[in-house]
Amino acid sequence: MAATAHRARANIATALRSTRRQLAKVRTGIAGLDDVLRGGLPAGRMTLLSGGAGSGKSLIAMQCALHGATIDEPSILVLFEERAGAVRQNVLSLGWDVPALERKKKLFLLDARINPEAVISGDFSIKGLLAVLDRQVKFLGARRIVFDAVDTLLRLYDDPARERQELNGLHEWLLDRQLTAIMTVKADPQEGPSRYSFLDFMADCVIHVDQRVTGQVTTRRLRVVKYRGSGYGRNEYPFIIGDNGINVIPITSGVLEHRAPGARVSSGQAGLDHMLAGGYKRGTGILIVGTAGAGKSTMACMFAEAACGRGERVLYINFEESAESMVDNMQSVGVRLQPSMDTGQLVVQSYLPEATGVEEHLLRALAALDELRPQHLIVDAISACERMGTTHAAFEYLMRVLDGCKQRGITCIYINQAIASDVVSEISGIGISSLIDTVIALRQLPVEGVTKRQLIVMKSRGSNHSDRFHDFRITDGGIEVAQA
Amino acid sequence: MPHAGRRPAAIHAHRAPRTGARAKTESAANGSETYAFRLFVAGSEPNSTTARHNLTRLCEQYLPGRHRIDIVDVFESAALALKHHVLVTPTLIVLKPRLGVTLLGNLSETRQVLATLRLNGHGR
Repeated sequence: MAATAHRARANIATALRSTRRQLAKVRTGIAGLDDVLRGGLPAGRMTLLSGGAGSGKSLIAMQCALHGATIDEPSILVLFEERAGAVRQNVLSLGWDVPALERKKKLFLLDARINPEAVISGDFSIKGLLAVLDRQVKFLGARRIVFDAVDTLLRLYDDPARERQELNGLHEWLLDRQLTAIMTVKADPQEGPSRYSFLDFMADCVIHVDQRVTGQVTTRRLRVVKYRGSGYGRNEYPFIIGDNGINVIPITSGVLEHRAPGARVSSGQAGLDHMLAGGYKRGTGILIVGTAGAGKSTMACMFAEAACGRGERVLYINFEESAESMVDNMQSVGVRLQPSMDTGQLVVQSYLPEATGVEEHLLRALAALDELRPQHLIVDAISACERMGTTHAAFEYLMRVLDGCKQRGITCIYINQAIASDVVSEISGIGISSLIDTVIALRQLPVEGVTKRQLIVMKSRGSNHSDRFHDFRITDGGIEVAQA
Repeated sequence: MPHAGRRPAAIHAHRAPRTGARAKTESAANGSETYAFRLFVAGSEPNSTTARHNLTRLCEQYLPGRHRIDIVDVFESAALALKHHVLVTPTLIVLKPRLGVTLLGNLSETRQVLATLRLNGHGR
């Protein structure tokens, strides 16, 4: 009875959904932004990008236009502030060949700088501009148009009412031609309601872009303030200007879309494999925790050596030392990493955590995962990540990297340096424990004038693991776990 | 009133001849150079009609017989508008003399227009 009623309700819901028309959208081509916008910008409508100087709004707008040009949606860039030549030069460094697109008639740059020495004497309108644009729209079959720094044009008008009138005219012109328009406006949020707040009402989609300094690190954020007729990500999203343009940090989806753990793979140490009932499971998250000098990096490097020996690829992100230093130190305990580095199977990327903001670190890590496609990732050490900015920033980084690995089926090993000698209690403080499947703790005990090394498998999801402390030594042949 | 500001030639016989832009402007003011205007309009849109009217009136009053007005309709000659960097209409470009001056708007601020064209104070 209840089942039939439920089915009936489900049928009605489906029927309603099919009659609801989805708002047509155009992709911006900016990594991550189309996700925030749930598909892209509203097609044939106006989008407003507002932000302070240097916030990146012009670049976002330009990238939309350039992307359009490459996917057969010819675009026009109306530049009220920058010289067309400067724009061509600037985007060249991001890998965009604007002259080529212009030659192919996919892109048109209009130098619309108002002569600063022009004398205003009487009323005027932008009909001239629209006439010029009309010709270009027809000539290119343009689908997208960007008005960069439209406030420069609006400032010519003394009367706000006149300004509004002109913009209404422009809006009508855009709607008639069904152009997807993007306008950028300089607006400092600190200034309060800006003179151009009426633009917020006119536009169908409004995005605020902002650049701020937190803890001596500059971050860029964008926020979708409004999007008529569509859902959108409502938070502030950090973004960076990378090597190939804007990158909005990908959102971690609300759903855990992780691949199921794979087959067992050796930890690189026979005794440890035994303790783990076979080894690590591929695609899982592993945490190795211990005090300084406990042998964490050695353990991780033995894993890397073994993996490369099997023909697999490993990415090692090192926040503690350089690749050369690491290879050298490992050499002294019999772990040979140089051959794997020579073949390119082992890639070591060393960074100073405080060198850039967490968004850049995250982007670099995810980009490396996509580019190198390793089977395994090692991060040494996660305790250094706090130096990226704040504790929250560190958590963001670690959580998203681990999430990224699990989505790609990459085994992820996090090395954590504990402060207290009682390493066990350090685990819960990390906060990412729910994504960690295996925890191995290493400790050093002074016994009778000698340092005794021990390790224990604290947790190993889906495994019948050993639950006792095992002695181990670090010799010329690496870590040797004593047979229990 | 021609030569209104000039003193009798004899007193200035020993002076070096005036050269450059100043000379040109003065000679224009004194009626020896023709003004060439290019007015960009947007069809029969009100501001454009007003500008044409204002410019014609101004030329007849201050530059009788030494003006040339070229009207360009942006709806028909978009390419020319683009070449001259015309964005708003009406736009008045002064081709001759080379004052490097551009006027935006319907030219209803007569005194300002005259001052910009260096025509103020001469003639009525």
